[in-house]
Amino acid sequence: MTSKETFLKPLLRENPVTLHVLGICSALAITNSLTSSLIMSASLTSVLVMTNVTISLIRKHLPSSVRLIVQITIIASAVAIIDQFLTAYLPDAAKTLRVYIALIVTNCIVLGRAEACAMKHGVGTSFLDALGNGLGFSIILIIVSVIRELFGNGSLMGHRILELAHEGGWYEPNAMLLLPPSAFFIIGFIVWVIRSWKPEQNEEAEFKPAPLPDSEKR
Amino acid sequence: MNNDSPLKAFFVVLVTAMVCSSLVSATVVMLRPIQLNNQMLDRSRNVMKLTGLVEEGVTPGDEEMLDLFRDMDMRIVDIDQAEFNNELDPLSFDQRRAASNPDLGVDVPSDQDLSSLGRRSRFATVYIVLREGKLERLILPVRGAGMWSMIYGYIALESDLNTIAAVTFYEQNETPGIGDQIMRPEWLAQWQGRRIYDEVGDLRFAVSHAKVEPGTSTWLYEVDALTGATVTADAVTSMIRYWFGSHGYRPFLDFLREHGYGRP
Repeated sequence: MTSKETFLKPLLRENPVTLHVLGICSALAITNSLTSSLIMSASLTSVLVMTNVTISLIRKHLPSSVRLIVQITIIASAVAIIDQFLTAYLPDAAKTLRVYIALIVTNCIVLGRAEACAMKHGVGTSFLDALGNGLGFSIILIIVSVIRELFGNGSLMGHRILELAHEGGWYEPNAMLLLPPSAFFIIGFIVWVIRSWKPEQNEEAEFKPAPLPDSEKR
Repeated sequence: MNNDSPLKAFFVVLVTAMVCSSLVSATVVMLRPIQLNNQMLDRSRNVMKLTGLVEEGVTPGDEEMLDLFRDMDMRIVDIDQAEFNNELDPLSFDQRRAASNPDLGVDVPSDQDLSSLGRRSRFATVYIVLREGKLERLILPVRGAGMWSMIYGYIALESDLNTIAAVTFYEQNETPGIGDQIMRPEWLAQWQGRRIYDEVGDLRFAVSHAKVEPGTSTWLYEVDALTGATVTADAVTSMIRYWFGSHGYRPFLDFLREHGYGRP
């Protein structure tokens, strides 16, 4: 695989959210505003890059028995550092995002890339892989949040775009879009669109219904 | 050293832990002053909004805001003793932390705990706006359980210690689009001029379950309902009822009304 492919593949074709269905927790929780999504995307991408590169650097010295513990320690530290930077430089956003930033530790994309890529490849490849996956996650988050904030609240990044009915405008906001389940629906639609376009992404059925016994056949 | 030896595993874990923890601590120490400054700025923005000292629509710069805030008359109130406390420093006193402190906090009796606080601080930092040496506004911190989590806010009272001058909620996690309407400026603006107690001293303030029509008996004491947000609206009502009730600021307000306010 060329380095260009390593970087481009996770953006759409092997997107961590739509293909592997990872990182859904934060995609649900914070996509009701574009600002939060951007901050979350930037945080996750930086954590991913930091941890993937670090783990790739020390991968040859990681005994497999304590591999996961060390990976999680590194991830948790990276997250703690990012969290501190956010509270210092983006205090208003950090207040609403705080819990979700801390939850990046448990975001499966981070540990998933550490295991799948950083443990097996060199620093360069791991860096590009992390960047690609981070941006792939960001793309989905941004699409979902643009839909949710624009149609749920009539605004984008807090700027009024559609005049709301209760403020004298014409747009009656769809409040459901501001609730977490709507993120599920939107991601579901995106997955559907991508898999109709690339049918090879469809998973094998895990089981088939047993054939009907003869007695019940008409 | 062989990767499979237990000694190497131990060594690797130890080094990782040391390196990671020192990195995290270094970041915390480095960024602490900026974070503290942010907290102070945040607090001053919320309080200054209610003082009436900053013109509407004008946002002073960060430094100016901090200066204005530091110049304010801040006092610590002993809520249960209904008097000022001069020993604690109002600028650094942390009311949230005090609630869980065995000495600084107190349990809220369950029959009075309208807002599901469990415990509250025995002291509160209040802000006083003076005009020609007389109390013009009194700003009190309030909090109460909302739909999902604690709602924090400030209420400013006029010099009669009954009429609401302004209100703000600065931290909440109500349902987006529904309960978070408590942050809407148009709704908050209605609070101005509403009263908390009636002539005989009964606590009448409430968030109505309907639109409040001018001229009705509740007009003076109630603000409009929030569409679809009954739980949040009731939570706000309970919060005001608790904080202005006998376990809240009421004894202190009575004390102020009787003795007036003069800086010792």
